[in-house]
Amino acid sequence: MSAAAPIVEGRDLTRVFPMPAGDVTALGHVSIRIEPGEHVAITGPSGCGKSTLLHLLGCVDQATGGTLLFEGREVGALSESDRSRIRLTRIGFVFQRFFLLPMLTAWENIELPQAEAGASKSERRARTRELLEYVGLTERMDHRPSQLSGGEMQRVAIARALANRPPLLLADEPTGELDEATGEQIADLFDRVHADGTAIVVVTHNPVVAARAQRRLAMKSGSVVSG
Amino acid sequence: MSAWSLAWRTVVHNPARACLAIGGVAVIGALLFNMLLLSRGLLVSFRDLLDTAGYDVRVLANEGSPIHRAPLAGAPSLAGEIERLPSVRRVALIRSDDALALPPGRDADAASVTLIGSTERQLGGAWDIVKGSTLPAEVHPGEPVPLVVSTKLAARQRLEPGSPLRIRVNLAGGASVLPSVDCRVVGIGSFTFESAYDYTVATTMAGFAAAHGAPDGKDEADLVLVASAPDAGPEAAAKAIAALRPDVRVYSNAQVVDQFNARAFSYFRQISVVLSTITLAFAFLLVATLLTMSVNQRLGEVAALRALGFPRRRIAANLLCESALLVGVGGVAALPLGGVLAIVLDRILRAMPGVPERLHFFVFEMDTVVLHAALLTATGILAALYPIWLAARLPIAATLRKEIVS
Amino acid sequence: MVMAAFAVALAAAAAAGSSSPAPLPEILLSRQLAEQASVRPGETVTIAAAANGAGAKQFRVAGIYEPTPDPMRFTSRRIEARLHLPDLLAMTATPEDPSSIEAVKAINVKLVDPKEAEAFDAALTARVPGTFSRLTARAQDGSDPFAVLERFHLAVAIVTVIGSTAFLLALMVMRAEERREIIGIVRLIGVSQRFVLLVVLAEGLLIAAAGAGFGVLVAKAAEGSVNRFFQWRYDTTLVFVRVTARIALQSIALAVPLGILAGVVGSWTLLRRDIVSLVRR
Repeated sequence: MSAAAPIVEGRDLTRVFPMPAGDVTALGHVSIRIEPGEHVAITGPSGCGKSTLLHLLGCVDQATGGTLLFEGREVGALSESDRSRIRLTRIGFVFQRFFLLPMLTAWENIELPQAEAGASKSERRARTRELLEYVGLTERMDHRPSQLSGGEMQRVAIARALANRPPLLLADEPTGELDEATGEQIADLFDRVHADGTAIVVVTHNPVVAARAQRRLAMKSGSVVSG
Repeated sequence: MSAWSLAWRTVVHNPARACLAIGGVAVIGALLFNMLLLSRGLLVSFRDLLDTAGYDVRVLANEGSPIHRAPLAGAPSLAGEIERLPSVRRVALIRSDDALALPPGRDADAASVTLIGSTERQLGGAWDIVKGSTLPAEVHPGEPVPLVVSTKLAARQRLEPGSPLRIRVNLAGGASVLPSVDCRVVGIGSFTFESAYDYTVATTMAGFAAAHGAPDGKDEADLVLVASAPDAGPEAAAKAIAALRPDVRVYSNAQVVDQFNARAFSYFRQISVVLSTITLAFAFLLVATLLTMSVNQRLGEVAALRALGFPRRRIAANLLCESALLVGVGGVAALPLGGVLAIVLDRILRAMPGVPERLHFFVFEMDTVVLHAALLTATGILAALYPIWLAARLPIAATLRKEIVS
Repeated sequence: MVMAAFAVALAAAAAAGSSSPAPLPEILLSRQLAEQASVRPGETVTIAAAANGAGAKQFRVAGIYEPTPDPMRFTSRRIEARLHLPDLLAMTATPEDPSSIEAVKAINVKLVDPKEAEAFDAALTARVPGTFSRLTARAQDGSDPFAVLERFHLAVAIVTVIGSTAFLLALMVMRAEERREIIGIVRLIGVSQRFVLLVVLAEGLLIAAAGAGFGVLVAKAAEGSVNRFFQWRYDTTLVFVRVTARIALQSIALAVPLGILAGVVGSWTLLRRDIVSLVRR
């Protein structure tokens, strides 16, 4: 473990969802640290709280109890616009269903978060080209999501997540909608991203993807049981 | 990518939906534009009509309204007194009566007309000569009474300049055995105040008296028209006349317009307010529904953008721009469409009896375009509020989860 | 009775307590006049035909009436009164003209058989030249102002229907797109295109019928608001808007097929697309 401060640290995190039939504790007293450059896989059966934990780490959701620190700042004390800014510039998110904007081309999908972060036109152009090459989709840059395969869409989504050079990449079941071979390609891509110094936390059922991680956290019933 | 560019791309991504929505806004916007035109059109047109005649003050007997009046006794001396006022440039006396126009040998083509007698040959812009000449300055005894007939009457009775015509006056309030008088058409004109169902014939005051079996009270007039001196203006002229002769009623054109605005036109103003309000509510409802459905279809996208770090205000700006595009493009298209619709609706309303054919219910004014734009803009903004609230408030994690599960 | 439309000099005297030797003739006042002059039934008023009050006579207010609303004059404030005809003629006759005691402005005639109106009109004109008679039936030559207004409102209604149809189609296209995947899945599992179309039709019918019915209810509610507004604005009991059963049925008859058609047209492209493209994301 490196001596540097963790990128994100959760202490005694709890997340309770109020339901008409009774409150559901999706996450109960979970503590976790993600160090810079670390590659962590979170596994576990459906409904064990993996995605809930990922959402908390990504500042997408707020914990009911406990403390979350992102690069030393307490997330719970931040305003929504500060949390948005963290998500935009310090975290990259990859979703199971890609969630690319259907009316934009691959190029535009990757460029969009850079524009929002305030990058200049030339910076955006250079970075987008670089990322398309990185994910091997230069020749598909003018294609819309409806013209791409599942694996290609996910690669564009990964490129989009990396657009603003975040130190942390979070992926929620990135190969959930892909076949085995394509899943392997995505896993290879994550290896490259990790090798370039980005910390990765991936929630997955895929053993191939999980096997590539340095550390595996197994969850069950809202708690971390091993790792 | 700016909010406008993203909004544009979102809108054109579904061209059928966008065209239909914009088309709907254009049609409703056209209706709104027309209702706004209607609220002032009649007023503006009536004022223009009054001003066309070139006279800006009217003098009437004390009894009656600006349109239905009792005759003024001693009219020539009254006219002389008024003309001597420094604030007055010109005076004309008008008389009118119902009559029958009988083309010789063609009694079946007889038509009821309004016979106007005037001391002025042309009466300013009250009629425009289309064919022939205007009334002569003098009529010699024994000559047929000179007439200017309206184009509609000329078409119906196949009259040309020089055609003979007999006029028989109908005296109101009793049986009349006045004989018809021989007249001659000297000109065919387009009469400013003629309605769709009326025919108008103008003659000299002497001709009018002859038609009534002169002399018949030549010193009477139904109306005295006054043109104010340019350096005095109508209000000053009206005030001076009222001071000179407190026994008569004096109205400037502006006052006539105000009276009509308060009475005859108020229905159209009210109906235009009611229909404008309903149209705006309709447009609001439809744009809001469209945008809300659009947001509901894209909740996953919106949640993903929020998860990627796009702040609420950016999402709100995107939606506002989408609304602005739909309403803006539709609103611009509404103007030419509204113009065509105005022509159609104007034609319908001008068929109302008693309405001068040159009076228009819909008159284009730049202010109306500005008001139309402002109202549509406000509607577009209001319509976007609920979908913006939906998108800005959605729980990101829960929405992402729901999208994946569904 | 003839409605008096002349200049009235009106002064309310003390209530019925004052004794007068002969009973005063009676008069009815319009509600608007009574409100303006603050007069109640039983009180004595003074009426004159001349603006300077010459020839004034006293009358006892027998009652207050609501003037029959006149669509041609609804913008005018109905400041009027009703007297017995002999009383009115006695006030308005001029001594120099003996026939003025018998002169009236108009005579209303109610025929035994209304269908004979035109024949009666022709006979009257022939026998009494110089009179002018007007039938109360609406003119059929298009000169009736209400026929003009009817055409105007019809044109506005047509435009509104066109605009709302465009929106309706847009919404139906969106709805169909929303269910693209579902349609693809049911087609995949073997449900025929025809059955899907029937479902779309049935759904369109339900939504259109419910919408049309709701629209009639909204119109009925709006009818009340519009009437109340204009009646307040013009101080009249005239009914400006009436949603009749015929109008409601016409609206439903128009809305339901439009709604069904919009649903089918909106779903048409989806129904025609191949199954694979429907389920593909």
